[in-house]
Amino acid sequence: MKVKKKHNYNLIIGCVLTGILLLMAIIGQFWTPYGETEMNAAAKNMGPSLAHLMGTDNFGRDIFSRVMIGSGNTFLVALCTVAIGAVFGTIIGALTGYFGGWIDEVIMRINDVILSFPSILLALIFISLLGGGTYNIILALGVLFIPSFARIVRSEMIRCRDLDFVRSAKVMGAKSFRIIFVHILPNTWVSMLTAAMIGFNNAVLAEASMSYLGLGVQPPQASLGRMLSEAQSYLFNAPWYAIAPGIVIILIILGFSMISEGLRKIS
Amino acid sequence: MKNILEIKDLTVGFCENTGWHQVLNKISFDIGEGEIVGIVGESGSGKSMTALTIMHLLAENAVIKEGEILFDGQDLLKCGDDRMRCVQGNDISMIFQEPMTSLNPVQKIGTQIGEALRLHTNLNNDEIQKRVIESMENVGLPKPAELAGKYPYQLSGGMRQRVMIAMASICSPKLLIADEPTTALDVTVQMQILKLLRRFHDETGTSILFISHDLNVVRALCDRVIVMYRGDIVETGDAVEVLRHPKHDYTKTLVAAIPKNTNVPVEKNPVVSVKNLNVYYNEGRHLFSASKKKKHVIKNISFDIYDGEILGVVGESGCGKSTLGKTLTGLNRDYTGEITMACKRPQMVFQDPFGSLNPAKKLGWIMEEPLKLSGIRDKKSRIAMVDQMLCQIGLDESYKNRYAHELSGGQRQRVSIGLALLAGTKFIVADEPVSALDVTVQSQILDLILDIHQKQNVTMMFISHDLNVVRGICHRVIVMYLGEIVEVAEVHEIYEHPRHPYTQLLLKAILNGDGRVPAGTKNSGKTTEEVNNEGCAYYPRCPYHSDECLFHRPEMKNAGTDKNPHLVKCYHMLTVD
Repeated sequence: MKVKKKHNYNLIIGCVLTGILLLMAIIGQFWTPYGETEMNAAAKNMGPSLAHLMGTDNFGRDIFSRVMIGSGNTFLVALCTVAIGAVFGTIIGALTGYFGGWIDEVIMRINDVILSFPSILLALIFISLLGGGTYNIILALGVLFIPSFARIVRSEMIRCRDLDFVRSAKVMGAKSFRIIFVHILPNTWVSMLTAAMIGFNNAVLAEASMSYLGLGVQPPQASLGRMLSEAQSYLFNAPWYAIAPGIVIILIILGFSMISEGLRKIS
Repeated sequence: MKNILEIKDLTVGFCENTGWHQVLNKISFDIGEGEIVGIVGESGSGKSMTALTIMHLLAENAVIKEGEILFDGQDLLKCGDDRMRCVQGNDISMIFQEPMTSLNPVQKIGTQIGEALRLHTNLNNDEIQKRVIESMENVGLPKPAELAGKYPYQLSGGMRQRVMIAMASICSPKLLIADEPTTALDVTVQMQILKLLRRFHDETGTSILFISHDLNVVRALCDRVIVMYRGDIVETGDAVEVLRHPKHDYTKTLVAAIPKNTNVPVEKNPVVSVKNLNVYYNEGRHLFSASKKKKHVIKNISFDIYDGEILGVVGESGCGKSTLGKTLTGLNRDYTGEITMACKRPQMVFQDPFGSLNPAKKLGWIMEEPLKLSGIRDKKSRIAMVDQMLCQIGLDESYKNRYAHELSGGQRQRVSIGLALLAGTKFIVADEPVSALDVTVQSQILDLILDIHQKQNVTMMFISHDLNVVRGICHRVIVMYLGEIVEVAEVHEIYEHPRHPYTQLLLKAILNGDGRVPAGTKNSGKTTEEVNNEGCAYYPRCPYHSDECLFHRPEMKNAGTDKNPHLVKCYHMLTVD
């Protein structure tokens, strides 16, 4: 009567998928089959072939090379955004959650206000104030990601702060900062990791939509969202131009979703 | 005597990731008509599993490998779901341990009690209502008509358990299964519930299968006892006989008495001195709440703790004994009064062994923490001290690399005690340190506590609701009632000559020796009357109260000698009958 150990397929597939895409993006930073902006007037809007795996666009640029570089940009933006959100969100959430009081109330209400607007709208306001470009996008999205992380860390803090192991640390004479960051914080990492994965997906989508609107990565630099927006005009004569970056965005998000689902099953 | 239930060769197990895990190994026993049978054993012994199997309430992944359960000659295991539904609640009913979760929070009490009638009889609503009120009266619930319209959260734990019994008994079942029905209750309430079960049994002749880890409860209530250990029945027989003269080795360790503290402190040299302590709890901490409500939890208490003694603090839940412990260890800053200590910061051992160790860290890290905090910089000497402590608390060095969830409850409690010692204190507050543990583990931990107390001359405050444990290991005892100290004396003095009516009530509720639970009277559930703030807090429950008690709060008076004071807060200062 033996039961086979259940494999966590979500996690495995997610990791493999994300790994491949990440590898492709990293290679793209050093080597691509064709140059990022290398045009070829003789090979405009060509369909996928051995020479051009994903075809070429209206300037005759190799779509595969541009997807490699573009996904690199996307990963960079998503990674930095989540990092900013996670670091500041954790600090704010940990402090307000542990100490409580009126500061907690005030900060959480500000949080609620930020969360009640669609984040893309707020990002647009930021960008129109700061101007476009990769680093401004990172800054704008990063700030907008702080509240959701703050919320998660805060609720974990509140859950843990009245547990006996925290009391025990207090009785031993540990200072508040030590209790928060050394004793309680390691207990929050599973929910943090899941939140980071979901945040990553949102960041990828947000970056794509910002670039699609022309506010993010500036042409002729490649970006998945930017490519989608340019492909619009050629949807009927060169559908591969839209499909290629679209599929890569879907795969990135699928990979991260599966990882976060897998992590949730572990915990 | 005809058997109402016969279990033959019952084998149950789980299919898990790691393989087949058997929890009941071919157990066989029977229950006679009108008999009360007790099952005792530690957690994981399979006692609850037996009950769940009878009731068809096993989890989905549980597998009944073989055996039969004959109820009135019919094999319940071969019954279909429809037939089983007729048996459940009608012929066999069950009372669960946790009165908080076993009632539906969004349904009125009356509806929940009447549910069984609605399912198993054709009575109309008025008749059901009548039967519900009757059965609520039978279990001693006051003002049943009014109570039937209330929700579970409006009732106390003891009242909820009465409601459970009313629910279980309304269809006059032939067999009642009670799974740890009194474990979550205070001793005084436990006594009431046991009396109620006894009366219910005497009046209706229902057989009862009573599952408990508490030997004293089983001895006091049951006719026959079944001792289970790791899925096997190791001993069975007359309850009083088996528990007095156990034959099997396991039963012997189970019955082994609570360790006795023989060490007597000589000098009465106060280490901790508490004067006029008042503790408040904030209620409704909210930005926009207008008034700050404060609840007075501890009311003007004063006492000393002497060097090298173990001071017991007893009382019902909600009397403020845990709050007192937290205040002494500095976890609660909102107090007035004076606490003077002649020692380094006191440490605390908590009740719940599952919450008191950081789940994200290894034991080695957890145990190094108090050393780091006391400023020992050298990592090597820290590790050496941790190793030494692990040995001292009965574990070994290999435990350093484990996480808390890999340890049993008793092992965690050992680590908690070790942590308190590593912090280098001479005064430990132990808040119910053994009440979450199995009986056999309990005595091991108590042994460790006594060992440490004697070898290291640690002074302790031992908070507990278990009066047998307190009697065994404490030197002096404080009895608390609703935030006040009502009696303080040396342990043998208080147990042999209790002066306060509340102490007497508590001590009467202790089950030890061979006393049997008598059947309760019909109206043993008391209503709480209005308490006058000026008067004695115990007034509403006191059988001896007079007008004086209602209007004037009694002062603490010494009923003993100057050398061995026996302080009591009561006008009557009863002498023992």
